[in-house]
Amino acid sequence: MTVDLRKDFVTYAKDLNKASEDTNIRTAITRAVSSYRNTVSETLERFPHTPELAEEVQGIKRHSMANLDDLLKQAMDSVERNKGKAFFAKDHQAALEIALGIIGRGKTVVKGKSMLGEELHLREYLEENGNEVWETDLGEFILQLRKERPMHILSPSIHVPREQVAEVFSKFFGKEVPPDIAEEVKVVREFLREKYFTADVGISGANVVAVDTGAMVIIENEGNVRLATGAPPVHIVMVGTEKLVPTFQDAMKVAEVTWRYAQYGVPGYVNIVSGPSKTGDIEKVTTYGAHGPKEFYVIFVDNGRSDMAREDKFSQALHCLRCGGCMYECPVFQVTAGHFGHVYMGGIGAIWTAFVAGGMEKAAPLVYSCLRCGRCVERCPMSIEVPAMIGELRERIVYGKY
Amino acid sequence: METKMPMVLDIISENIIKHGNPLALKGSEVASWAKELDLPVKGELLFYTGGEYQLLPFIDSLVKTITHLDQGSKVFSMMMGARNILNKTGLNAEKMYASVLAKDKDRYNSVCLKAAKVLHGLGYEFCYSGNEELYSGALLYELGYLEDMKNYVQKVVEVIRNSGAKTIVCLSPHAAEVFKFIYPKMVKGFDLEIVTFVDLVWQRRDQLAKIEASGAVVIHDSCRLARELGIHQELRDILENVGADVKESPRNREWTSCCGGPIKILFPELSHVIGSRRVNELKESGAEHILTSCPYCLSALEGGRTKGDSAIIEDLIEFLYRGSKA
Repeated sequence: MTVDLRKDFVTYAKDLNKASEDTNIRTAITRAVSSYRNTVSETLERFPHTPELAEEVQGIKRHSMANLDDLLKQAMDSVERNKGKAFFAKDHQAALEIALGIIGRGKTVVKGKSMLGEELHLREYLEENGNEVWETDLGEFILQLRKERPMHILSPSIHVPREQVAEVFSKFFGKEVPPDIAEEVKVVREFLREKYFTADVGISGANVVAVDTGAMVIIENEGNVRLATGAPPVHIVMVGTEKLVPTFQDAMKVAEVTWRYAQYGVPGYVNIVSGPSKTGDIEKVTTYGAHGPKEFYVIFVDNGRSDMAREDKFSQALHCLRCGGCMYECPVFQVTAGHFGHVYMGGIGAIWTAFVAGGMEKAAPLVYSCLRCGRCVERCPMSIEVPAMIGELRERIVYGKY
Repeated sequence: METKMPMVLDIISENIIKHGNPLALKGSEVASWAKELDLPVKGELLFYTGGEYQLLPFIDSLVKTITHLDQGSKVFSMMMGARNILNKTGLNAEKMYASVLAKDKDRYNSVCLKAAKVLHGLGYEFCYSGNEELYSGALLYELGYLEDMKNYVQKVVEVIRNSGAKTIVCLSPHAAEVFKFIYPKMVKGFDLEIVTFVDLVWQRRDQLAKIEASGAVVIHDSCRLARELGIHQELRDILENVGADVKESPRNREWTSCCGGPIKILFPELSHVIGSRRVNELKESGAEHILTSCPYCLSALEGGRTKGDSAIIEDLIEFLYRGSKA
């Protein structure tokens, strides 16, 4: 079989060129890069133990990925012990079907931001199956209305200036929304507040999972995850297996390193959810669904991750905390944003595309647009050797070894 | 499974494998700079150019061809096909590039001569493989053609071993990188000491003459040199010894910004955008005189300079040569 990649390269090059001429992207990323560098250097000065903690986290991640099967079993047991229901999804389709099996049709779903959700095209799938789904992260909400894909993993609508936000909001809400950021935030707050309390299901991801306790740790700033996972009667966590670590203490370390390099300094909220809401206040009889969800489900998703874990040359890519720091340091990303990506972005994104989200042919043009300059490695708290992995992928592409 | 890669990759990899040079330049063309020096072919220290500075003006022509033609178009396929045929029949590839400016060709060709003179001036004696010298194959490594590289490097090593050298001094950090990290994995008993031009100059920096520069200089650290080879303080030490006023750009040393060069052949426009952003970043240092120590950085930054920009972009070799002439 012959796979002709020539057209894909041409199409991709045109897309990159167009992106590099987009002044919105240029302005937004330039601002974001300088703010990222300043904040991170300030907070690293304030919390000087961070680089050492990051090294410790590298060890935790290495150990976890080497014992993935074992951790997964423990995690599922913990969830069940906590009166939640645990599922394992081998691939993309299984993950979607399990979620749909829990949710059903004709429901209202509120969703927190999740890269796994993007990887699975979760919202689109649930909508196609007759559900009303709302992205509650402001950036994702904007993109949902604009029918666009994220341009950064943490700031998905980084490329959309306030004027364009006002435009799409005015149209959607059927009233004049001024190009004023506070006003824009306010209309979404009002709109989604009603959704949280009428939704049937809340879906979130998790930044890290402690398998000993079954604790799902979710870092956020907006407060949308608290509401989306707290108000509806059902909470579903969908999480990639690379997020598993042995202990609660490990999870705290991973979380702190994640938010520090994600420019949060100190995040507004760290949610830790381990099971359904419960009370024993009346006669010490445990009753579920006190104030929060009565039902709690966790879907652990593999979808190519265990293949990566098995390969010496690529298992380190699973250590990625999704802090997004590498993207700010990437000269290609700085001028093209999420166009240098397919779900996952930047050099690390090209690797994830090959294994998890799209496959080698989708990854090929991305793999060749990486400069292999190595500045991402300098920034990465996990020191992921992206250039070496890109080199390895190129070899596989050239000789069709995939 | 077989994959069809963009044609420009096929051409470059085939040229390296068959002609020992990414653009199929002839050995005599690549070595023409050395005529006046009459260097020995055997010695302890091997001077290695890899033809990399010499091919820069031709790369730009290739890139211009790519930029102006849609790579998916029939015309482009025909041109690239024609080129391939020319190479296969052994005709001069450079005849395809009539647009190469003589002054560019002279400039880049003379970088090697200047490097040799600077090293001679510091008392180094070395040999050179002349017409026989082969390109290191760094691009095969860079672009993923590792299976082919395994065979190719055996030929390169044969030429190197013929020199009897124990140490190789590389002008390009890309060559140094593959000799140091990749060759030992591919060639049994490859244990030559690998140094860069910068290393050798740095070792005898006390002997450097002062250089009269018109203003401050700023260093563009090459990614390979700064991150893979860990060489960045050495550049500053050297410049301090020649009395240059060195300014620093906001992103330097191991945090240096890539020049965009590595994606030039596949994504020329984007590479250009990245190159010009880097030129501006370097100018934020307050210096307009940019020095680098890598052929691809030199070419990419030159390409990224906007028309009418007063910035001067030079290789460290060119800068140091001013001192050795005096």
